[in-house]
Amino acid sequence: MLANVNVLLLDYALGSLKRQGGKSVFILIVLSLLIFLLASVLMIADAIKLELNTTLKTLPQITLQRFVAGKQTNVSLSRVDTILAFNGVERVMPRVWGYYYFKPAGVNFSIVGVDAYEEPYKKRLSELTRTFDLLTLEKEGGMIVGEGVKNVLQENYYSDFFNFITPKGERYPLKIAGVFHSDIALESNDLMLVPKQAAYAIFGMSPEEATDIVVHVNNPVEIPTIVQKITERYPDLRAITQDDLRISYQNIFDYKSGFFLSLFIVCVFAFFIVIYDKASALSSEERREIGILKALGWRMSDIVHVKFYESFVMAFSAFITGFCAALFFVYVLQAPLLRSVFIGYSELKPPFRLPFSVDVKMIVLLFFLSVPVYIAATLIPAWKAACLDADEVMR
Amino acid sequence: MIRLHHVYKRFAQGDEAIEALSDVSLEIAQGECVVLRGASGSGKSTLLSLIAGLAQPSSGEIRVLDREISKLPEHLSALFRRAHIGFIFQKFHLIPGLNVEENVIAPLIPANLPLHVLQEKARAKMEALCIASKAKRDVRRLSGGEQQRVAIARALINDPVLILADEPTANLDAKLSTELIEHLYMLKQSGVTLLIATHDPLFFDLAFVDRIIELKNGRIV
Ligand SMILES: Nc1ncnc2c1ncn2[C@@H]1O[C@H](COP(=O)(O)OP(=O)(O)OP(=O)(O)O)[C@@H](O)[C@H]1O
Ligand SMILES: [Mg+2]
Repeated sequence: MLANVNVLLLDYALGSLKRQGGKSVFILIVLSLLIFLLASVLMIADAIKLELNTTLKTLPQITLQRFVAGKQTNVSLSRVDTILAFNGVERVMPRVWGYYYFKPAGVNFSIVGVDAYEEPYKKRLSELTRTFDLLTLEKEGGMIVGEGVKNVLQENYYSDFFNFITPKGERYPLKIAGVFHSDIALESNDLMLVPKQAAYAIFGMSPEEATDIVVHVNNPVEIPTIVQKITERYPDLRAITQDDLRISYQNIFDYKSGFFLSLFIVCVFAFFIVIYDKASALSSEERREIGILKALGWRMSDIVHVKFYESFVMAFSAFITGFCAALFFVYVLQAPLLRSVFIGYSELKPPFRLPFSVDVKMIVLLFFLSVPVYIAATLIPAWKAACLDADEVMR
Repeated sequence: MIRLHHVYKRFAQGDEAIEALSDVSLEIAQGECVVLRGASGSGKSTLLSLIAGLAQPSSGEIRVLDREISKLPEHLSALFRRAHIGFIFQKFHLIPGLNVEENVIAPLIPANLPLHVLQEKARAKMEALCIASKAKRDVRRLSGGEQQRVAIARALINDPVLILADEPTANLDAKLSTELIEHLYMLKQSGVTLLIATHDPLFFDLAFVDRIIELKNGRIV
């Protein structure tokens, strides 16, 4: 392949691009911009999909909430054993969580009760926490708080502990045993992770109850059946499955990106018309040049070769430029402006960093959407011009 | 050298057909200098492009150097031109933006020869025409006379045996026309076959012109 490249023809093509000056620059800029936009959108969509999937994996398979008179209320712990007895159920976890209104600052803290010794939490907690003292958490009555909580408490002169007021009006002090890493600050900002019995006391809940119940099953295929069995047994329980969540996330994401894509396609189309117009319309000088070269003994294929080199160099440099710019824009700058198009998604979940994921399939798709299409769009008219009788130059 | 046998060339223009050439038969020997004379629209340029293989006759046969050029496929006729024919156009038809040397080597760029070989060939031609000192200058910044010499150097780069000139003096003043005729005379001396299409009277009583063929409405008279 490389041996077949006539260096002088290639050089002629490069010179010809240089001679066209402004036109080349214009096409290069528009084409790069086009590829940049396409690549950015594909990358953002890809990154969000990836983030979505990781998030979904951490969501519980089934969450059971009890509704009375249309309002969510606590569930009796006695149901845990009944549910655990259903075929296919692997694990059942009652959860205690809620909000605590802190009057002096006028803010709500999110309180989640955990058993620090429960396997799923132990490892995660030490990963997520800056300073973490398990002993304080369990034995002496401590808690792990988010950066935001810590700041609010400090402003109100609670530097190492906090006095909760229970519904009965009693004080319930908890030591600050750890603070979450700042890199998950956005998700943990208002969070207080407290021992379960502390959560019961703070909320004034009966220890025989839970806020909701999370169910894990052996075989995800059985989820619908198990949900059906549970809701038949307990009609006041409402089940939210991973699939429900997935669908609602996905719907919002697809809606946003679909809306965006249709707008985007219109833009691409408009751009393409501009490009096609500029790139394919041969000026009378170009046509004359083709005529001269033919009369001088150039074959049609020589002329087409030159045009091929021209448009390949053009499309390829635009591809590289646009693609690199998109990489920088999406992953380094975190896609300002474009990202907000998908804002519906980030309403569900606090802002996040777009995870780096370059899909080879996407690069290939992008390449074939741009480079060969552009080359074809410029080669066909050049070929046609080269086919015409060269006698225009004879007049 | 050149043999045309009952050549016709028609152009379709809307519904009616224009007969640019009708029943043209002629023969030109090697080393001859022939002037093709005729009013505007008489078919001179058409005849030249047929002989160069740039277009094909509607009927009839054209042989150049004993090769039937009218039947050659496009790529072979291009190679044939590259190997044997030099072209001098009316208005020079240099490629703007390229320098003198690049213009001169343009016909041989697709030939896949090393650049230095092409540059040596070009140097020889440019020296013969006294434009070697301007080799790197953009052709748009040359005088009319210099441009003309670049056009001649380009026509000679492939050492052609046949030179076709289409109204070579059409855009030249008297002095440059005389200069051009001197160059053509030197080419004729070196044994090149010349076919010059023109209606410039300057050519009609030149000593080195062997023959004048007159075209009228596409026919030889
Ligand atoms: N591509 C074409 N399509 C249609 N008609 C053409 C074409 N080329 C030439 N003709 C017609 O053929 C006739 C001969 O044209 P040609 O260019 O050979 O004349 P010419 O003798 O070279 O004239 P001039 O001295 O003006 O250059 C003219 O009537 C011209 O209009
Ligand atoms: Mg003419």
